[in-house]
Amino acid sequence: MIKHVDNPVLEVHDLTVSYDRKPVLWDIDLTLPAGKLIGIVGPNGAGKSTLIKSVMGLTPNSSGYVKLFDKDLKQVRDRISYVPQRESVDWDFPASALDVVLMGRYGKLGLFKRPRKADRDIALDSLQKVGMDAYAGRQISQLSGGQQQRVFLARALAQQADLYFMDEPFAGVDAATEKAIIEILREMSAKGNTVIVVHHDLQSVTQYFDWVILLNMRLVGSGPTSEVFTTELLQETYGGKLTLLSDVGDLIRRERFPNREQFDKAQKPK
Amino acid sequence: MEALQIILAGSLVAIACGLLGCFLILRKMAMVGDAISHAVLPGIVLAFLFTGSRDSVTMLIGAGAIGILTTFLIEFFHKKGRLQTDASIGVTFTWLFAVGVILISVFAGKVDLDQDCVLYGEIAYVPLDLWITDSGQIMGPRVLYITGTVLIILIAFISLGYKELFLTTFDPAYASAIGISTAVWHYLLMGAVSLTTVASFESVGAILVVALLIAPPATAYLLTENLKKMLLITSLLGVVISAVGYYLAAWFDGSIAGAMASVAGLLFMLAFLLSPTNGLIAKHRRKKAILKPSGV
Amino acid sequence: MDTFFEFFSFADPNIRYVVIGSLLLTASSAIVGSFTFLKKKALVGDAVAHSVLPGVCLSFILYGEKNPIILIFGAFATGWLSLILIDIISSHSKVKEDTAIGLILSVFFGIGIFMLTIIQKSGNAAQTGLDQILFGKAASLVGNDLIAFAVIAAILILSVWFFFKEFTLLAFDEDFASTIGLPVRAIELLLTTLTVLAVVIGIQAVGVVLMAAMLITPAAAARFWTEKISTMVWLAAIFGAFSGLTGAYISYIAPSMPTGPWIVVVISTIAFISFFMAPKRGILYRMNNQRKIRRQINDENILKALYQLGEEEKNFYEKRTIEEILTKRKFDPASLKTGLRRLKREGYLGNESGHWSFTKAGKHKGQRTVKLHRLWELYLTQYLRIAPDHVHDDADTIEHILTPELETRLEKLLDYPTVDPHQSEIPYQ
Repeated sequence: MIKHVDNPVLEVHDLTVSYDRKPVLWDIDLTLPAGKLIGIVGPNGAGKSTLIKSVMGLTPNSSGYVKLFDKDLKQVRDRISYVPQRESVDWDFPASALDVVLMGRYGKLGLFKRPRKADRDIALDSLQKVGMDAYAGRQISQLSGGQQQRVFLARALAQQADLYFMDEPFAGVDAATEKAIIEILREMSAKGNTVIVVHHDLQSVTQYFDWVILLNMRLVGSGPTSEVFTTELLQETYGGKLTLLSDVGDLIRRERFPNREQFDKAQKPK
Repeated sequence: MEALQIILAGSLVAIACGLLGCFLILRKMAMVGDAISHAVLPGIVLAFLFTGSRDSVTMLIGAGAIGILTTFLIEFFHKKGRLQTDASIGVTFTWLFAVGVILISVFAGKVDLDQDCVLYGEIAYVPLDLWITDSGQIMGPRVLYITGTVLIILIAFISLGYKELFLTTFDPAYASAIGISTAVWHYLLMGAVSLTTVASFESVGAILVVALLIAPPATAYLLTENLKKMLLITSLLGVVISAVGYYLAAWFDGSIAGAMASVAGLLFMLAFLLSPTNGLIAKHRRKKAILKPSGV
Repeated sequence: MDTFFEFFSFADPNIRYVVIGSLLLTASSAIVGSFTFLKKKALVGDAVAHSVLPGVCLSFILYGEKNPIILIFGAFATGWLSLILIDIISSHSKVKEDTAIGLILSVFFGIGIFMLTIIQKSGNAAQTGLDQILFGKAASLVGNDLIAFAVIAAILILSVWFFFKEFTLLAFDEDFASTIGLPVRAIELLLTTLTVLAVVIGIQAVGVVLMAAMLITPAAAARFWTEKISTMVWLAAIFGAFSGLTGAYISYIAPSMPTGPWIVVVISTIAFISFFMAPKRGILYRMNNQRKIRRQINDENILKALYQLGEEEKNFYEKRTIEEILTKRKFDPASLKTGLRRLKREGYLGNESGHWSFTKAGKHKGQRTVKLHRLWELYLTQYLRIAPDHVHDDADTIEHILTPELETRLEKLLDYPTVDPHQSEIPYQ
């Protein structure tokens, strides 16, 4: 069940992504509607984070292309925000919560310019939205896991983007934070923003998301939660992996094969 | 006067190294700094051979280029040769350093450098090595001008690029997501490290450059949780290290650079034990306080 | 040249001592270093190497002369101390391990240099030559020193031989080692002790500054030639010994030269040759492999195009011109021509006055490629839910890589289908 939409905010066309030549995502074809709260669901190692990293241009694609708002990433970078996994940074870093949130303004500031008062106001405002305004001056090493995640969310808010990608925002946070975060995400999507979240807790999927993407090395489903989040499709996503597919992937890595015949691309007869 | 000049030269070198070191240790690249500081040696020697002098800009640029080449080689062996990073670093810099030492021995007559100078510099000669203009006017110690210029360049680099250095160091994935090139800032930083190492080399030698790159920032890291303060404290520590190191060396009649490194180590040890926030003793007390709440 | 024969005839007992000493020192550090390399702790060796300097100086200050046993004790003590401090700093503060290594390395070395310069100015005549410890001097390996170092080298080699299995397991999978009841901490302690010892004696030949290379580089070079640990350790030992021998020779012909840098340059050269030339893992081998793959893909595409032409006209053995082939698929003209000639040489094609035709083997191979292409397209649509108009690109690649074993599995899995998603026939033999 893969539902395609017109005028998508995100279009992924025939995307294959590999690590060390082994494809971890095969031929993904995907379109997503605007203004929805969207969950990416799948087992460990399914390529969930890889999908959004690839969309954000953080890992090279082996083939295919990605369009955001019908444009290339470079043209619309300031309309898109990305929240990496919390563990991906060193929280011992000498910085305060406000310092981190201010980073959300860097993209708009451009090279060499310093943040101005207006940027600080936006940053403080974002901190307030996530309920962290009292902690603005606090060193990030002294925040709890949930508070750190809220700071990351505030940084994304400070970017004032239209499309948000979040990598496991609920990982290792307390129940109160999870509730607070989902409230904010709902509010954002109600305002017409699109929020795409990598998620691993199946229990809360129907409750949280309008639209679900089921992923396990390949796209199993994409569509409104009620239509896609079915026992049958979940079994296909989580039950047994495609051994033939991963064996072919291993072979590509071992034999150092190219993922695509790059040299005569676009010349084949249609 | 001479003491002051030496201490000033030492301070300039220590501040320059320390400022860059802050970013290196936060990027977990301390050992890459170590590698670069060794690897520039053949560049310095070759520049000596070709230009016949030590104060030319060519030397700074040439040796700086070798520094960047080192980072390229480390990445090349790691990515193309699929050699683990630590081994890639180890193989690359020992090779370049060995080549440099051999060049010095082979061209001993032509190059005004010796093996000892390579290791611990000759900061004691700073006041003797004067910059004399063509018209014969004595401008003062040459080293002060070189290290002073490098320090000014560095301060300009860090204050202009502070935002980008800060972000690419803290969260490289987010930085590239909002369109800041992590590779560009990586190589700019490596270039700055190479430049600083070359300029500091003749004063303090290869391995003591490493001490100044790592020890003061590591000390400041334990004393504050604010990057700007960390840079400031590192600079202050640089001056203290230089002054105390000088008098220590004078007292025992030993190498000034060696004494500076020893003082740097001592200061780190003090911070490690006594820092009010991160010190071992403060941590121990806090643990006790939690175990035994007051009033019980 | 005379000196060359004089040296390598080993007639002079002094030369014999120096050679034996250098071989033992470099080989034993390479052997121990193999395990630090495999444990990805290469730079820790660097820290230990620099940290022995203050120990050596301190024992000289306390004892007043260069007694090898005393110096070894001092070196061993500060070498170990450096490791303990690195561990304490990185586990009891937010300072990360790499910073701790760099910090201890440079500060210990600085303290060592400070002491060394004080000793040099103290006027004690016994200190002459103490500074050779910085860059090493193989030629000074004579008499009692040699016996002391040789004994330690022998201990190192024997220990590795006895504990080979344990060290291997420790380097490969520490958690597993402890679950099967190995005393992991004790073995780790032993390996660390051996590393410190290897450094302490290795610096005689190479010097403290470049000692890290003797631990890392032979192992890194050896790794490229083999996948077997025992072979790797042997190779590392041989590479190390060879560079040690060169060092001894240079020390003999040019006594003013420091030995260490020459040994390091020799071993680095061996390493670079290995990185590029070694079969399987070498950079050149892998580049060549890529070229072969490109050739294979090119040739199979030619056969596929000829097969498709035959399919259309129901005549597989018809003679075709290059222009006809190009109607089926765009090729780079140069690689098409070399590909055709290669296929003729290999017996897949015949050529008569510019016209190309299949041999039996050629048709068979072209047919297999077409079959794999269509099977894979079907697999993608059925198992990966990919639209039929999006499967072509992927199949165009995978058709070249599927092995006969995977081919059989694919046929079984799809239950010997007859047509692909575009209703083209899947040809079986």
